[in-house]
Amino acid sequence: MNPRRRIKRAIERVGARTLDFLSAALFLWSVFAHTLVGTIRGKRPKGEVVKQMYIIGNKSLVFVGVTLGFIGMVMIYQTCLQFGRITGDLSRIGHEFAKILVHDFAPTLTAMMLSTRVGAGIAAEVGSMKVTEQVDALRMSGVAPIDYLIVPRFIACVVMMVVLSIFGAVVAFVLGGLTAANAFGVNTHTYFDLSGVNFTHLGLGLTKAVAYGMAIPIISGYCGLRAQGSSEGVGSATTAAVIGSSFAVIVLDFIISAFGLIVLGEGL
Amino acid sequence: MIIEFRDIHKAFGPKQVLRGVSLGIEPGEVMFIIGTSGVGKSVTIKHLIGLLRIDTGEIWFDGERIDKLSERQFYPVRERIGMVFQHSTLFDSMTLRENVALPLRKHKGMRQNRALREADKRLEQVHMGEFADRYPAALSDGMRKRAAIARTLTLEPEVVLFDEPTTGLDPVSARRIDRLIRELADTVGCTCIVVSHDLTSIFTISDRIAFIYQGRVHLCGDQDAFRHSSDPVVQQFISGQSSGPMETPGF
Amino acid sequence: MASRAREFFIGVGDTAMNVARQVGGIVILFYEVVRALLPPRLDLRELMRNMLKMGYMSLPIIALTAFFTGGLMVIQSGIYVKQFNASALVGWGSGYAVFREIGPILIGLMFSGRVGANNTAELGTMTVTEQIDGLRALAIEPIRYLIAPRVVAMMLSLLCLTIIGDLIALGGGLLFSKLILNIEYSTFYYSLVDNLTPADFIQGLVKSVVFGTSIALTSCYFGITVRGGAVGVGRAVNAAVVSAAVSIMLLDFAVTYLLG
Repeated sequence: MNPRRRIKRAIERVGARTLDFLSAALFLWSVFAHTLVGTIRGKRPKGEVVKQMYIIGNKSLVFVGVTLGFIGMVMIYQTCLQFGRITGDLSRIGHEFAKILVHDFAPTLTAMMLSTRVGAGIAAEVGSMKVTEQVDALRMSGVAPIDYLIVPRFIACVVMMVVLSIFGAVVAFVLGGLTAANAFGVNTHTYFDLSGVNFTHLGLGLTKAVAYGMAIPIISGYCGLRAQGSSEGVGSATTAAVIGSSFAVIVLDFIISAFGLIVLGEGL
Repeated sequence: MIIEFRDIHKAFGPKQVLRGVSLGIEPGEVMFIIGTSGVGKSVTIKHLIGLLRIDTGEIWFDGERIDKLSERQFYPVRERIGMVFQHSTLFDSMTLRENVALPLRKHKGMRQNRALREADKRLEQVHMGEFADRYPAALSDGMRKRAAIARTLTLEPEVVLFDEPTTGLDPVSARRIDRLIRELADTVGCTCIVVSHDLTSIFTISDRIAFIYQGRVHLCGDQDAFRHSSDPVVQQFISGQSSGPMETPGF
Repeated sequence: MASRAREFFIGVGDTAMNVARQVGGIVILFYEVVRALLPPRLDLRELMRNMLKMGYMSLPIIALTAFFTGGLMVIQSGIYVKQFNASALVGWGSGYAVFREIGPILIGLMFSGRVGANNTAELGTMTVTEQIDGLRALAIEPIRYLIAPRVVAMMLSLLCLTIIGDLIALGGGLLFSKLILNIEYSTFYYSLVDNLTPADFIQGLVKSVVFGTSIALTSCYFGITVRGGAVGVGRAVNAAVVSAAVSIMLLDFAVTYLLG
């Protein structure tokens, strides 16, 4: 193939890729916009939101509890180990840990865990419906798939993210305290010190929980709606949902934390 | 007899599928196992390579009992009894050539290049040589079937099991497969056990036929025995009538 | 009221049995893979193919994740820097967190989500379409030919990716401490190099090997035990990813505790 044609082919390929990317981004945005509108005005099956809250919330309780519990233990263990070597003074551990749990670690780590469980679940469900043409069937009977499928999960996820973050924070804090007391002899009264947590922390933590709670179902629903083929398509959609949600959580964490540091620095 | 089933019973949960199947198969013959859908034909032959395990009874292959072998012990048996599945089960991540080359590499110890060349030759034998570069998903059922047969034959088995080889194929492809099976038995002396409900295949290439009905072998004999049978159930099956004395659960 | 309580306990019991069965299945799989590896007659072709595929598909996402994670660590330390004027500690703090904890855990989670899930979906589809039975019928052992190379490939890939990811995270940290906290590159660099030991780095790598094995085993297990077509595959991927996440957290604690 002569060089001119080779260059032309390469440009065509880049162009096609860019168009694909843009159309995908547009679709994602439209899913987001439609979901927001649908939350306020859409029609959805009775009781679906509550059912989703049960699926997302109750069923993730043990999962979040176990994972956040272990993370709490590890963090305290590592911190006590290092600070024990450097300063020997572990009295502020609980105080500092509470702050960072509230404004960052609890919502973020809970969201990372949920993006695997809930993200995969939503993508698998919606994806299966897409490849078996049930989504088209919905559209043909006059029901907007987004209102029916995604909005209930959206609302449920936002609510449950907040609830589970709080739950996760408590579990991590308590188990961290037990670790500090048992392995390093830290006095529990000294550890369980919540005086450092202020409204800035709570605000940041809440914002993150809500942001993550919105991102996970939107991205997972989006991946589900784009599933094609058969079982392979559902598998790819699930993978994409988990990765996309996890990555979104990290990027949102970065943005919100940066905002918190730069704009509200003093309060922290 | 090279293969013998003695009073086989097999149930899946509450459903009793095989209720005392006894059948003997002679070396080098083409034996058809026929019956309506769901009666247990595929189940019967899958026991021969250990993909399923019987509940009671005995299975004998070449003078040895094989129903009680462990998974590991079955591998030598699988080198002598090959199976062509109903849905071809070619590996969809590989080209036809690579599919056929795989067992050559693993069992004949060939290096990749030599295996690929040998695979081409094998594909030629089933008239699939020009499609060697294609992936299974891009081909028709009949083509996949032929490639699957080529792949199974790389192990040079003494017995080949065919699970509904012509089901879903157009008449021309179906007759091609029939011819392949018959040639296999005649030229190489391979024992072919064919599960089928394709009447044309049954009455064109079979040496003997075993008709399974209600979990047992209802009739076993050559083509004439079936054509001239006065048994009403047999008559209903081979004349393809939808109503008659035959019980077909589920309809 | 009493029947609700009974239902709850039955539910707990069922879940416990399920979990026990799965853990048992995974341990058995581990044993079979180890057996297939001694003596090491691995299908090198499959191993290479898998390593390339896994590395290739996960490198971009892991690089991006690592980069932002590095930035995140800096932002979190930023609070203390302002309070205690501790710019000299940022390099050390980031490096310590990244090498020992955040690096292996986050990279492990992303790897599980990308490669683990993909692997489960592939093996699941193969199981549903009888390709695994097809292998057995050709007298080729699925564990030796299909599973063992994937397990080894996943372990090695995660190890390499963690090393690369750790370095990128530090790069991100370097960049963002200059941009956001106005810490000179050299301050960051020396703080890191002067205070961290190889042991910190190695402990993180030990974790990534352990995580890699766990992710590989759970991913393969749920792939080959799929039932029920497309829906079953989706469910298997879900289960695989969730189990991998839990096991990462559990093993993280175990390794941290054991290696002190």
